[in-house]
Amino acid sequence: METIVLECRGISKSFGGVRALKQVNFSLRQGEVHALVGENGAGKSTLIRIISGALLPDQGEIWYQGKKVEITSPRLAQTMGISAVYQDPLIYPYLSVVENIFLGREIKTPRGNIDWSKQEEKAKELFASLNISPHFLRQPMGELSVGLQQLVLIAKAIAYGAQVIIFDEPTAILTEHEAERLFQIIKRLKEQRVGIIYISHRLEEIFQIADRVTIMRDGEVVGDYPLSAINREMIVELMAGKHLVEEIEHGGKKGKEPILAVKNLTKKGKFEDVSFEAFQGEILAFSGLVGSGRTDVAQALFGIISPDSGEIYYQGKKFKAYSPQYAMNQGIAYLPEDRKTQGLFPILSVSYNITISILRQIANHLGIVNAKREREIAEKYIKELNIRTPSLEAKVFNLSGGNQQKVVLAKWLGVNPRVLILDEPTRGIDVAAKAEVHQMIAKLVERGMAVIIISSELPEVLKLADRVIVMHEGKITGVFEGEDIDSTNLVRAATGERMLPGKSD
Amino acid sequence: MTNFQRIVRRREFTVLILILVLGAIFSFTTERFLSISNISNLLLQLSGVAITAIGMTMVIITGGIDVSAGSTLGMACVVSGYFLLGGYSPFLALILAVLVGLGIGLVNGTIIAWGGIPPIIATLGMMNLIRALMFQILGGKWISGIPPSVRTIGLGKWLGIPIPMWIAAFLIAIFSYFLSYRPLGRHVYAVGNNPEAARVSGVNLKSTVVFVYALTGALAGFAGLINAARTGIVQTNTGMGFELDVIAAVVLGGTSALGGRGTIIGSLLGAFLVGIIKNGMVLLNVPALSEGLVIGVLIIISVLADIIRARRETR
Repeated sequence: METIVLECRGISKSFGGVRALKQVNFSLRQGEVHALVGENGAGKSTLIRIISGALLPDQGEIWYQGKKVEITSPRLAQTMGISAVYQDPLIYPYLSVVENIFLGREIKTPRGNIDWSKQEEKAKELFASLNISPHFLRQPMGELSVGLQQLVLIAKAIAYGAQVIIFDEPTAILTEHEAERLFQIIKRLKEQRVGIIYISHRLEEIFQIADRVTIMRDGEVVGDYPLSAINREMIVELMAGKHLVEEIEHGGKKGKEPILAVKNLTKKGKFEDVSFEAFQGEILAFSGLVGSGRTDVAQALFGIISPDSGEIYYQGKKFKAYSPQYAMNQGIAYLPEDRKTQGLFPILSVSYNITISILRQIANHLGIVNAKREREIAEKYIKELNIRTPSLEAKVFNLSGGNQQKVVLAKWLGVNPRVLILDEPTRGIDVAAKAEVHQMIAKLVERGMAVIIISSELPEVLKLADRVIVMHEGKITGVFEGEDIDSTNLVRAATGERMLPGKSD
Repeated sequence: MTNFQRIVRRREFTVLILILVLGAIFSFTTERFLSISNISNLLLQLSGVAITAIGMTMVIITGGIDVSAGSTLGMACVVSGYFLLGGYSPFLALILAVLVGLGIGLVNGTIIAWGGIPPIIATLGMMNLIRALMFQILGGKWISGIPPSVRTIGLGKWLGIPIPMWIAAFLIAIFSYFLSYRPLGRHVYAVGNNPEAARVSGVNLKSTVVFVYALTGALAGFAGLINAARTGIVQTNTGMGFELDVIAAVVLGGTSALGGRGTIIGSLLGAFLVGIIKNGMVLLNVPALSEGLVIGVLIIISVLADIIRARRETR
């Protein structure tokens, strides 16, 4: 048995009262590929951010090479021999590959100048140890494919003498060929007795390269098995868990004809061949992992990104969303996923934020905004959504996250759309505000709105949805209705199993 | 927070106090500061800055800047100067001056909004280009000898206050109302605070941006006519450095250099502050160099205050 190189003991971490990690134990041996799996928000990224020095734990100990350590910064982690290769490689695109490898710890001549030839020599050695012919050393990093950029980062990690390398969804952006090459390199790293933490949502990959797997759910480790002792079904069961949620009943009447019908919608690199229908009086949920293309589909419906091919039918007629403004005028509203960057005007007032999209409607024939009506509308929504704000004039950044989200929601209710797309409507808000937002959504559907909700939280989907579409890597992998909406089905489809009625792989 | 506290905490209030304090100091230390001719001269000088600052306030609220305002004013002076000299109706000269400015502003706005060129670069290019054109047109000569009969708009007074100041006050009232009560005016703030959210909220980003630069150009053109009519002289360097006074007025008046907030009234007060500092220092026989020093320091302090506030808010 190889010795343990890294061990986390009883790690806990909270963010503003929300427990992200609870008493997590995790150990990594030399020359071991240890897979880490779990739903979005299960705590994987928090754990690796703690291991790689980007976050400090609230509680617990980290033992590295037999000693108790405190990893206070990513730089310290690197010099200790712990490197992370993230999904989007952090690079300096205009600098050469050699510079990218040695930036901040250049090899110098006795006079203190950069010793270019020595650096290049060293870089060649590094790539040779990975079995890669380094013909690209002098090229600017930005000209390399993402796959090669990843290799450069691995080389950089080895240059730091890495004992532990963390891969965060490394294959998500790679072609099949590149992924295969990466697996070969991981094998070589294993031979060099480097410990590897491997995060991936592609379960088949894990069976291909990992020795052990740790499964996380809701901030806790729910399983730690050698790969030989577990199968795919068990992993999915553990990831999904048993969610006991009370469904919200709403009295919405589902329309006969779809108000929105999407056919074979495709945007290269984002989503492919997406077809679905949405009805008035129905809550349609898009489930799946972050980055599976759900948000991109929604943004295509709202005119933020324009699809390459496919058709959208809205109220029975062919429809093209030229711009958000146009989509809005046609009765489609989109509450963005990231309220900070896309939803709010933080230094402006609550009432300003609520009415910004309907100023033209509340202006008189001279185009002058009616201040009284504006106030009334703002007051109405503050009451209806129970927005806790000191006044109409309070700046939005002073409000809590939940109340900020309600302000964004109020803006869209004012527009009174026929189709309301809510992208992660309750992310980062507290339980009470979450319940209020859910109640509000039910009320809207009752009024006959068609609600499409994108959510990465299984309980939320289970609670609200009448119908669920699951996406995986840009494609629809599952459609569920009624009894079939359960966490196991959703996780299976979200991890890439095709579960479409009438079609098989 | 009471209403009183809210007023006291506003930048406009600080600037007003500064104006009063400086006014008092200059009144005691110089004999001429409070004289009717000096006050009227002061008002005349700052009216052009105040008028152009209306547009510049909006430009800066959107997160942009327009450094071509001085050249625009100069070019409008040249065009309107020739027409005034030719004895044409001042009204025609006015229309032409505004049109020249509007044209320059439209080009600025278009290359910024559609070409995606950073505002400082786009308007810097425009500033040099216009200045070179002025040189071409004037060929090193001056325009002078414009008859006083057609210069009422620059020289006249009503109720003892110069007509340009009345015009400035009128425009400030109109555009302040515009910023608060017209959808387009309100969109200016949205674009500056969070362009991405503005787009998603259905605001037409590009046309809002084009509008603010076009307006600034038109107003600089208007200020150009007033300048030509007031001085009766147009040179190649007319309006050089004017944009800096306008930007100083806007920034001192509390418009955030980071975009998203600001008022036209604040910019008017800023224009007064800049005007009083310049005027008072001339009266005190302080060398012109230190005038730049004082205004420069004030600008840095005010932007710093703005950034510290923003940092506190986004903590």
